[in-house]
Order: sequence, then C-alpha cells, then structure tokens
Amino acid sequence: MRVFFATDIHGSETCWRKFLNSGTHYKADVMILGGDMTGKALVPVIHDGGDGWHGTLQEQRRELHGEDAVVAFEQDVIRRGYYPFRTTPDELAELEADSDRLDDLFHSHMLGTVERWMQMAEEKLAGQPQRMFVCPGNDDQFEVDAILAAAKRVELAEGRVVDIDGFQMASTGWANPTPWHTYREEPEDVLLERIRAVTGNLTVPHERVILNLHCPPYGSGLDDAPGLDEDLKPKHGGHAPEPVGSKAVRQAIEETRPVLSLHGHIHEARGHTRIGGTLCINPGSAYEQGDLMGALIDLNGSKVKNFVLTSG
Amino acid sequence: MAAADTPAERTMFVRKATGLVKGWSVFDAFIYSAFAINLMALGFGYAFTGVAVFPTGGLIAAIVLSGLFIVFEVITYASLIAVMPRAGGDYVWQSRVFGGGVGFVLAATGWWFILWHWVPIYANILILEFIQPILNVLGENGTSTFHAAWWNPVHGTGIFVASLATAAIATIVVSIGMRNYARFQKMCFYGAILGLLVMLALFLFHSKADFAAAFNRQTDIYGSHDPNAYGKTVAAAHSAGVQYKGYGAFPLRATLLLVPFMLFYNLWPNWGATLYGEVRGASDFRKNIYAMGGALLFTTVVVVITFAAMAHAMGYTFYGILSGEYWASVTNAPTYWFPYPGMLAAMFIHNGFLQIVLLLLLSLWFFGWAGSVFLSSTRVIFAAAFDRILPEWAAKVDDRTHVPVAALLLMLLPSIPISYLYAYNSNFYGYTLDATVVIAITYFGTTLSAIILPWRRRDIYKASPIAKYELAGIPLVTISGVVFAAFLAFCGYKWFSNDSYGINHSNSLKYMAVLYLIAIAIYVASRIVRRREGIDLGMINSEIPVE
Repeated sequence: MRVFFATDIHGSETCWRKFLNSGTHYKADVMILGGDMTGKALVPVIHDGGDGWHGTLQEQRRELHGEDAVVAFEQDVIRRGYYPFRTTPDELAELEADSDRLDDLFHSHMLGTVERWMQMAEEKLAGQPQRMFVCPGNDDQFEVDAILAAAKRVELAEGRVVDIDGFQMASTGWANPTPWHTYREEPEDVLLERIRAVTGNLTVPHERVILNLHCPPYGSGLDDAPGLDEDLKPKHGGHAPEPVGSKAVRQAIEETRPVLSLHGHIHEARGHTRIGGTLCINPGSAYEQGDLMGALIDLNGSKVKNFVLTSG
Repeated sequence: MAAADTPAERTMFVRKATGLVKGWSVFDAFIYSAFAINLMALGFGYAFTGVAVFPTGGLIAAIVLSGLFIVFEVITYASLIAVMPRAGGDYVWQSRVFGGGVGFVLAATGWWFILWHWVPIYANILILEFIQPILNVLGENGTSTFHAAWWNPVHGTGIFVASLATAAIATIVVSIGMRNYARFQKMCFYGAILGLLVMLALFLFHSKADFAAAFNRQTDIYGSHDPNAYGKTVAAAHSAGVQYKGYGAFPLRATLLLVPFMLFYNLWPNWGATLYGEVRGASDFRKNIYAMGGALLFTTVVVVITFAAMAHAMGYTFYGILSGEYWASVTNAPTYWFPYPGMLAAMFIHNGFLQIVLLLLLSLWFFGWAGSVFLSSTRVIFAAAFDRILPEWAAKVDDRTHVPVAALLLMLLPSIPISYLYAYNSNFYGYTLDATVVIAITYFGTTLSAIILPWRRRDIYKASPIAKYELAGIPLVTISGVVFAAFLAFCGYKWFSNDSYGINHSNSLKYMAVLYLIAIAIYVASRIVRRREGIDLGMINSEIPVE
C-alpha cells in the first residue's frame, strides 16, 4: 500500500489542487491531508470608483483596472493561500471597527472555500480508486468537520480509527497550547487523554497502526520552530529554533508503538526521525509558494518498506 | 480573533493562527552576518595580507570594490529566500531548480566536505590571532621546542593541536544547540566590538614615534633589545624591492588582482540570512537585505577606518611590510610579526595584564565565529538525509540531548585525519588551497539557479514578493545574479590563471576533483540503492500538475 501524506496547506488552492492530483502523480493508494487546511489572511480588494480597484499583496500595492485585472489579482491572492474579498473604503472602515463582523467574514470565507474544495474533490476524483482522508488541524474551526463529514469523496479522520488495507489509522488534529490560542489546543494532560480515547479503539497489533497526529512529538526535531519572545518576535533573528511539540503526542507514540506516525503543524521542521521503532514524519509546508510538501510511504505487511519526502 | 497589520489603510487582515510571528530583528541577523564576514578573523587573519602578493594594488580600493560586488550576492540570496524560504539553503534552491543531483553534489562539496579542510584554516587563524599574541605577551619567544611549534601556523604540532581545539569548539557549539550558541555569539559580539573600539583608540591616540618605540621595545622578548627594529624592518622591505601603494591608491588593473583575495573574508554575508517568514511579503526580503547588506557595509567601513587608524599610528605601508614578512617577500627584518592589529595595538600598553585583556576581547571575533565551521554543514547533511540521498541515520538526533550525533560525527571524524595530514604532510597543505574556491563554485551554482528561477519555477517566482522588482522588464534576481555570477567568474578566472593566488596548483585541483567525484559517487550509489528499494529519487522534486 502506498500512502501520500501532506499537511498544512492553509488555504492554498494550488496546494489543494496538487493534493487532488497527488494520487495519480505518485501512484498512491491512500491520500491523507494532515490538517490546517484553512487560510490565515483576508485581503481586501478595494473599489476606487468606476472600473478602478486596488489591492495589496505581499506589501505591494497594485492598481487594478477592469474586471479581468481584479480577477487576476484575486487569483494571485488565492494561490498564496489568502482569501480575497471585494469591498469599498467605507465598508473597510466599518469592518476595521467591528471585530465580530470581521470574524464572520473570515468564517464565511474559510468554510465557503472548504465546501468548494470538497466539490472539486468530488469532481476530480470521480471514478478514481484512491481513498482520501482529511483531519482538520488546530488552526481549523470546528465547523470544518461537518463539511468534511458530509463530503462524498473525502473521509473525515478526526477522532476516529479508520481501516486502511489491513492497517488502522488513529487521528486527531488537536495540539498542545500555542501562543496564538487557536481552535483545537489544550493542555498536555487533556491532549493525552484525547489521543488515548482514540487509540483505545485500535484493534490491530501495534505494528499495523498508523498515528495521524497533527502536532509533532516534543523534542523530535520535527517540532523545531524559531524561539519567540513575549511579543511573538523570533529571537536571535530566527536562527535559534526550539522544540515546541507535544509531550502528550510523544508519550502516545511511545505507548502505542505504531509503525508510522504522521505529523505537521511546524512548517519549518520538515524531516523524519524514529521514536523506538516508529517512523515519525513531518513533511513540512511551503503553502505560500504553492509547493506541496509531502511524504510518500510504502507499507508492506507490518512495516514501512520505504519512504521519501517530496516537494511537488 | 482578527487583528490589523497597519494603522493606515488595512491591506490585510490576519487571524490568530499558528506561526504568525512578528518580524524578526534585523540587528540579530546582522550579528550573524557580521561574524560570517569576520573582519578580524578572516580579513586581518588572511585576506588583507594579500597586499603582499600584489603590492602594486590598492588594498583599500580592493576592499571597497569587492564589497560593492558582494552587494549583488546579498540581493541574489535575499531574493532566493523570499521565493523559497527554506532551511537547507543552497542545497534546497539548487535541488528545486536544477534537480537533486546537482544540488547534492554542489552542496555536499561546498558545505560539507570542504568544511573539513577549513578546520586547520580556522586553527591557523587561532594561532596567529590568539595563541601567538598571548605567548608574546607572556614573553615566550619560541626558543623551546614547545613554543617553536606555535610559531609555525601551517605545519607541525602547533597547527594540529589548534585544529583539534577548533574542532572541539565547533563540536561543543553544535552540541549546545543554536539557542545557546546564539546567546554566546551575541555576548561575543559585544565584547569583540569593545575590543575593536579600544584597539582603534590605541591607534588613534598614539603617534608613529610612539609605535616605533613600542615596536622596538617588543624585541625584548627575543632577548636582545633592538632600538631600531622598526627602521630596520622598513629597510628590509626596501632592500627586498617591495614598495606598497598608499592608503587611497586605486591603480585599477593591480587592484583588480587583489579583489579575488578579498573574497576569503567578504564572500559569506549569506550565512546570516534568515530563512523563516510567513504572511510577511516584501518586508522580510528587505530585512534580509538590510541585515546582510548592513553587515557588509558595517564591516567594510570598519575595516577602512581601522586601516586609517593603523596608518595614523604606524604608517599605512608598514602593514604591507609585515604582510610581506608573512608571505616571505620581506625576509631580512630583525623580528617576525604577523600583522594582527590586535597585537600591534597591544604594543602600546605597558601592562601585560591589560594587554591580555585586550587580546582576549579581540579573540571573541574568533570564538564567536568558530562554531560556524560545522554548523551549516550539519543542516545540509540533514536536508540530504531527509531527501533519502544519505542514509536515515545521518539525521539521527540523540533523544536525550537533542544533539545531531551522526551529522556531527560526519563533520568531526574526517576533520581530524585531514588536520593531521595538513599539519604533518608537506604535500597535503597544497591540496587544501582551493578551500574558498569550492564554496565559491557552490555559490556560483546557486547564483545560476537564481538567474533562471523566474522562468524555471515561474509559478513560485510569480507568487513571491519579489516578482514586482524588475529593471527594464528583467527580474531583479536575474540582474543581480548575472552581475554576481560574472564577478565570481572573474575571480575564478584569476584564481585558475594566476599562480600568485596559490590556488592554480595541480595537486589541489586534482584533490578538488576527487571531492566532486566522491559526491557524485554518493548520489549515483544512492539512486541505485533507493531504486532497488523501490524509491525513485527523481520523484522528490517532480512537480505535481495543478490542473
């Protein structure tokens, strides 16, 4: 069985489209998206009157004239993983003053995009044999789960044990606390209980278990992120990474002793390591560049036959 | 949940999401770059003595001119980071543009194998700028066998012991982790700057007569006071027919010959580049320019000021004369002094303890930088292991200490026999003369990847914050890359066509070729082994269709 695993695409439509094509491209039997599929930013496209608009992407202002130019700009924004929205200067001012309204706008774009992506998956993968699993991550709001659960071509993995060709995969996108207070994070002891609640449903020997835990294990090298000061500024010019992974995840791996453990969350910490006999992988993320970082794993019987990290 | 990014018109709203950090400190990144183009260790430790090889060139002009061309290196690397901000640097960029084979061969040679050979080169600087000056102050004149060993910074037990010490320092730095190293380096920077300021003050507040007297007095440590050692040293240069150009001289052709020498010290500002950043855009591009370019500007200006201060105190050409002693073009001087400005400034101080304090402060330029000989190499080894070119164990990190044991051993173990051969085999020293060239070739490969990036990886480039930077419709990264590549090609031509640089050495070229062949063999063997295992390494960088 060949598994393709990617994670943390954060609203990048380019990465999602590539993910949909990854099964065919890599001849994978199973495709797993590890979490954090929603974007982080809204970009206003502001109407200046007539056919004039402007928008700013990556700190560069663009003057736009005509519908074609606006659409092209919006596509650039979408490719980057952000959500464009058309507005006027007055509406923009109102939005700035009304955080609830801004939250609603974020929610509608995030959920609307996920719904659209599920539709794309249904169309793209029609008639293809691959199974596709998605497990939301700590940055994904809870409403995403319902959309995934309702999708015809995608299987929701959160909090479940799923059977895959003789193996069982236990998943959760919850993480230990972050400085950003995201949707799915909780203290280590609570997180450990959450993971145990899922792994308690495993019914196969440990060498036929796959863990799909969004957060990487603490101190594994797969969790090295730039150390931050109290103001969330990287210390030492970003040159001094620190382990920020989950001790609960590490303990769960040590207790469960799966053959494979899949992670994401820390985009910079692309790599693989072993904890006991478990191969742990974090393929990293370069969603803003439209590069789909992934891991291709061949499972044979009760072992990882081989694996490779990809940059597609 | 959402937050604003600017007080003016809102151009973007970001929500609270993992990884959305604020901007990193330009100053912190500046420190890394300033240490990498280390004016004291690499500049005064070797590069500037090149004036003795091309005495008709203008040293100050060469320093400034080479710095101007390195600006294009800064722009090129900052551009690559903006397009592909990934740890792994040159290896990742070359792999993604040219494919894994080219990326691995150039990165393995330029960031891994050749760094083994930099251990004795670092050790050479340790001897010249730390051990010898300290022994001088202590009055150890090199007459005993033990002391004599330290007076030969190229061959013998002194350089071997210093190489082991350098390797030990680098091993400790890698073992304590980047966070602790960053703290240590920052402390070293402040101490090193303090030492630099004291040194400059000593030069500025003393006259040439003061220096001549201090220089003459230093002959006491050789057991016989020579009241005119300074004059005799100048005379020795005259009798050898060596004449140096003045401080502001800019004879173009001769100065251009000196420029390739300067790359030994100022080719490395990219070592301080910060590779992280998300939802940031052009500001991180500019910050990398400011950090690396700022370090380049700072270092160049400080070097120019230091030479002006030295010219005031001891005469500008006297630096060239002492360099001539080091390069053996001035042979009849009454004493031998490596032109380390720290020691020359310490001569003004009449108190041994204070002399040592100054030398220790200035030695922080070395100790804050020494770990770099292994640090970047371990990252390249990791990146190659993650791409399955190297075995999985190469990326092994100790569970308890988090030390990258295997990568560290892959640096440490080969460096010891190489240091031994360097120290005790008179032929092997010649093999290592291409140490800078090999890295320059890796940079050349990276620069070529930058030049074609806008076409080769068009989607990624177009989605990057630098896509708008063009001149006459040509991407800025291409323009800067072409200028820097041309500059490297010029230096390469000079290195390989002019024997004076000591690089156009047949044994060294053969040895360098062997290093490339080893890298190619590893890659080819890896592809074969992995294919047998069912892994096609070509798949690593194959792009998935979007539509």
